[in-house]
Amino acid sequence: MGIRKKASIGLTSAMAVMLLLSACGSNGGNNGNTAASNNTSSSNAGSNAKPVELNWYTIGTPQKDVDKVMEAVSEYTKEKIGATVKMTMIDWGDYNQKMQVLTASGADMDIMFTAAWAFDYVQNARKGAFAPIDDLLTQYGKGITDTLNPAFLNGSKVDGKNYGVPANKELPTSEVWRFNKNILDENKLSITDVRTLESLEPLLKTVKQNNPDVTPLQVDKTFTPYIPYDYLIEKFPLAVKLDDASYKIVNVFETPEMKQALETMHKYYLAGYIPTEAATLESSSDVQATGKWFADKATTQPFADNVWSTSYGYPIVSTPMSDALIYNQSVMGSMQAISANSKHKEKAMEFLNLLNTDPVLRNMVDSGIEGTHYKVTDGDYMENLPESKNYDMPTFSLGNIMITHLNPGDPADKWEQFKKYNDAGKPAALLGFNFDPTKVSNEIAAVQNAKESFWAPLMTGTVDPEKYLPQAIKKLNDAGLGKIMAEAQTQLDAWKASQGK
Amino acid sequence: MASLRKTKDFHRLTPAWNVIFNLIAGLFALACVFPFLLVMVISFTDEKTLALDGYSLFPKKWSTDAYSYLFKAGDQLLRSYGVTILVTVVGTVISLIFISLFAYAISRKGFKYRKFFSFLAFFTMLFNGGLVPTYIVTTKLLGLGNSLWALILPLAVNAFYIMIMRTFFSTMIPDAIIESGKIDGAGEFGIFFRLIVPLALPGLATIALFNVLGYWNDWFNALLYIENPDLVPLQSMLMRIENSMQFILANSNNASLGTSVLQSMPQDTSRMAMVVLATGPIVLAYPFFQRYFVQGLTVGAVKE
Amino acid sequence: MKAFGRFFKDINRNKALLLMVLPATVWFLFFSYLPMLGTVISFKEYRVHGGFLSSIIHSRWVGFDNFKFLFSTNDAYVITRNTLLYNIVFIIIGLVLAVALAIVLSEIANKRLAKWYQTGMFLPYFLSWVIVGYFAYSFLSFDRGVMNKIVSAFGMDPQQWYSEPKYWPFIIVIVFLWKSLGYNSVVYLAAIMGIDKSLYEAAMIDGANKWQQIRNVTLPMLAPLMTILTLLAIGRIFYADFGLFYQVTRDSGTLYNVTNVIDTYVYRGLKTTGEIGMSTAAGLYQSFVGFVLVITSNWIVRRFNKDNALF
Repeated sequence: MGIRKKASIGLTSAMAVMLLLSACGSNGGNNGNTAASNNTSSSNAGSNAKPVELNWYTIGTPQKDVDKVMEAVSEYTKEKIGATVKMTMIDWGDYNQKMQVLTASGADMDIMFTAAWAFDYVQNARKGAFAPIDDLLTQYGKGITDTLNPAFLNGSKVDGKNYGVPANKELPTSEVWRFNKNILDENKLSITDVRTLESLEPLLKTVKQNNPDVTPLQVDKTFTPYIPYDYLIEKFPLAVKLDDASYKIVNVFETPEMKQALETMHKYYLAGYIPTEAATLESSSDVQATGKWFADKATTQPFADNVWSTSYGYPIVSTPMSDALIYNQSVMGSMQAISANSKHKEKAMEFLNLLNTDPVLRNMVDSGIEGTHYKVTDGDYMENLPESKNYDMPTFSLGNIMITHLNPGDPADKWEQFKKYNDAGKPAALLGFNFDPTKVSNEIAAVQNAKESFWAPLMTGTVDPEKYLPQAIKKLNDAGLGKIMAEAQTQLDAWKASQGK
Repeated sequence: MASLRKTKDFHRLTPAWNVIFNLIAGLFALACVFPFLLVMVISFTDEKTLALDGYSLFPKKWSTDAYSYLFKAGDQLLRSYGVTILVTVVGTVISLIFISLFAYAISRKGFKYRKFFSFLAFFTMLFNGGLVPTYIVTTKLLGLGNSLWALILPLAVNAFYIMIMRTFFSTMIPDAIIESGKIDGAGEFGIFFRLIVPLALPGLATIALFNVLGYWNDWFNALLYIENPDLVPLQSMLMRIENSMQFILANSNNASLGTSVLQSMPQDTSRMAMVVLATGPIVLAYPFFQRYFVQGLTVGAVKE
Repeated sequence: MKAFGRFFKDINRNKALLLMVLPATVWFLFFSYLPMLGTVISFKEYRVHGGFLSSIIHSRWVGFDNFKFLFSTNDAYVITRNTLLYNIVFIIIGLVLAVALAIVLSEIANKRLAKWYQTGMFLPYFLSWVIVGYFAYSFLSFDRGVMNKIVSAFGMDPQQWYSEPKYWPFIIVIVFLWKSLGYNSVVYLAAIMGIDKSLYEAAMIDGANKWQQIRNVTLPMLAPLMTILTLLAIGRIFYADFGLFYQVTRDSGTLYNVTNVIDTYVYRGLKTTGEIGMSTAAGLYQSFVGFVLVITSNWIVRRFNKDNALF
């Protein structure tokens, strides 16, 4: 009796565990299985079977009506290419981390947003997150290659292969000085002669005298003075001079241009032109809201002055401080990649092709359902309806912007102007070269920490370069910058040879 | 009743020390409340005034714009409240049962495997598998992705609370009570629920409180597991906005982000209003738990 | 066979208690031990190749390479020192003040007031580090900060707080205590409430005054809890609260010498390369050191008092 009881209790508790295990296991397992079998059946059965569902992950604050709009989109794409679309939006600040987890865990995704600044394109292409799309492009992406300026695809090659479809948008990057026009007019100042950092001085001086409550040069911790160099990695002190035919990688802190810029910044700082706390100021949004600033540095694009003026609520004018050049950063500003784990790579490319060429689809994805979220007013122009608050998408992140409707107030030749601007852009030195940091990742970690300890104070002019620049250079070298530089030079030389430069 | 009064009397401090203790506790409490007060004032400050003058307890211009901005989203906010409350209540109950049973068992000196199970729990406090493996177990093996269980189960057990609870059980509960229960012929579960739980109320209330706070403040699990906007809890909504704000500011030299997107982000005041909305209810619920701390004295009296 | 029989006998004797630990044990298996197998990626150069398992199998084995970045530079000393010192200070001061505060709260005659104090002390726990960072800034900002107004009122020069490393060890400790004290004292308060009142009565009869009661009854009764919580804190001694050292300091570079800790170092260092192998390695290193320290201190505690030890 006693033994039987023992055994039965042992059994029941063991069974309880098993039950629990199997319940959990089968639950997850089933989901996996059905998903897998769905996938195989659909891809095997060909085009006339059940349409393929594409899982699309993109960046932006999740919108309430995404599912509703995607239903309409799916209706359209089902007929065109035999695929439906399910879009998942992940908020700006969560995107990097969430996508990293999803990719590393081999989640079921087909298309995903990537860029130089979000879910790092080059880094993740190297890690195998994306499928190479060169063949897919020639087979299914004819429309994409036709519409895009070739610099986009050439510039976004990683180790010779393309891994993402860049959105057709502004191509070159050009830095400008922006001015608060009210204060400019008040002091009767002219910006025609302004270009270099030094040329700003007389203007700043006047403003400082006449408007004591205004910040003459608004600078925050993200500021870096413009120097004619092409950075190897964004905000990392290695760069190549723009017109240097020998492609020699240098430490920017050892260049005469940077030294001069930092000295000028420090002079301005001492003169009180720059906010006292620039080195720890996270953003300029406070002064932008109040309008108590005179000049700052920004990246422009066609009609940027208008956009700025409307968003701040007071007039802004700008003048260039650099030529419009095509950097790696600029071609990788917004891209859609196909997941290496996708089971529908061809369909995904067909969809991306349609998205970048078909105005009906593109506008639906961008603005929602016509008549619900927006209405077409006149020709290419559209107007948002009240419902658009439930479907407010970041246009630049969803493919070709040059086939989207015009907003009220846009010039009729907006997209022609964009094309003109793009065609005028010249490639920067390192366009198409992407440094592979794998071999020196230890040094990179150390240099990053060393660099960040003085970067913002130096760049914002908060500290005296006379004293701190040598210290900074020493710190970088101690952390192993030399080794990174040598490795980068080897890679760059090999790339240069392969490009026939 | 008379003995109770007497108990209280000898437990009194001298008036002078009482004043000093009040001052210490009062000043510290004030220092803790002050920023929160500031949050409330900021949430009612006019946005432009805030940008111009910075934080102030007496803003020049008041405004309720921040709240109307948040209530514009309407049902989303209510739904998030619902999710948070549901997750917190269900989670705390489950968690309390799991933790107290485990902690009680390993607090029992007669339990042969107490060392093994103590170590089993303790070890998880130090070592964890990291994000990706946890994500895979939760979504693929357990199939919890995009469900409320993904918000409840990952927080259900916590070795830290187990260790605290174990200490409560082993120091506050005399062995004699368990023995007397056994003599009365009660089973282990009977002893636990009828004799131990009433005595361990202050400890249980502490763990319950920690659990409530943990569930209420959790946003990370939602970030990992929840994609359906209907299942997003309150804190997660708040943290999404804060994280996104930080991300966009850090990338504000990107023209597209810096202008168009930044403009549509909620302003400072709205984020403070979110803090008020997300914290308000739990602060109001706090006195409920306090009963067990401050009135613990009467529990002690009953024990006699 | 005999051993086997004894095993079943033991199981049977402990069946009720085993049933009690069952739910949480299953939980630990799924949510802690199973994922722990994933730490193997800290010895791999992780590359995506299909699902997670196949990715692990296909990734290159790199041995201890992923750990190197934690030791290879001058920063290694700074971050280890900062992480350790801050945590030691947090543990000691945190313990003393939390217990003191709990005693103060329990002794206040007016229970309604005590309730109010306690509620107030809890509020900082609800504020995220980002928000705490805003407040610190509203105190320490050069132009608009309260601190500089106070400093000038006393006729001293206003300070650039965010670029003066010498103040930050204090600021960090104060902010930490401010945020955590209310929360941490609750445990001790609950423990005090659970103390058998007859013990105090007995002390009274022996003629003990209030202070003697605290010293001879309250503190000894709190000792086990104090020991356990300290042991557990030692286990996390190599972990730093990222938000405290990143958001509150506004990531100000000039302060790194006193604010760079392992967690912020890893965050900054891996931004460019994003190697999850390396971040997992850092976590493993932190856990391992903590583990060794806890085992050692637990061993010491055991020698004094078996009951107070963790296991």
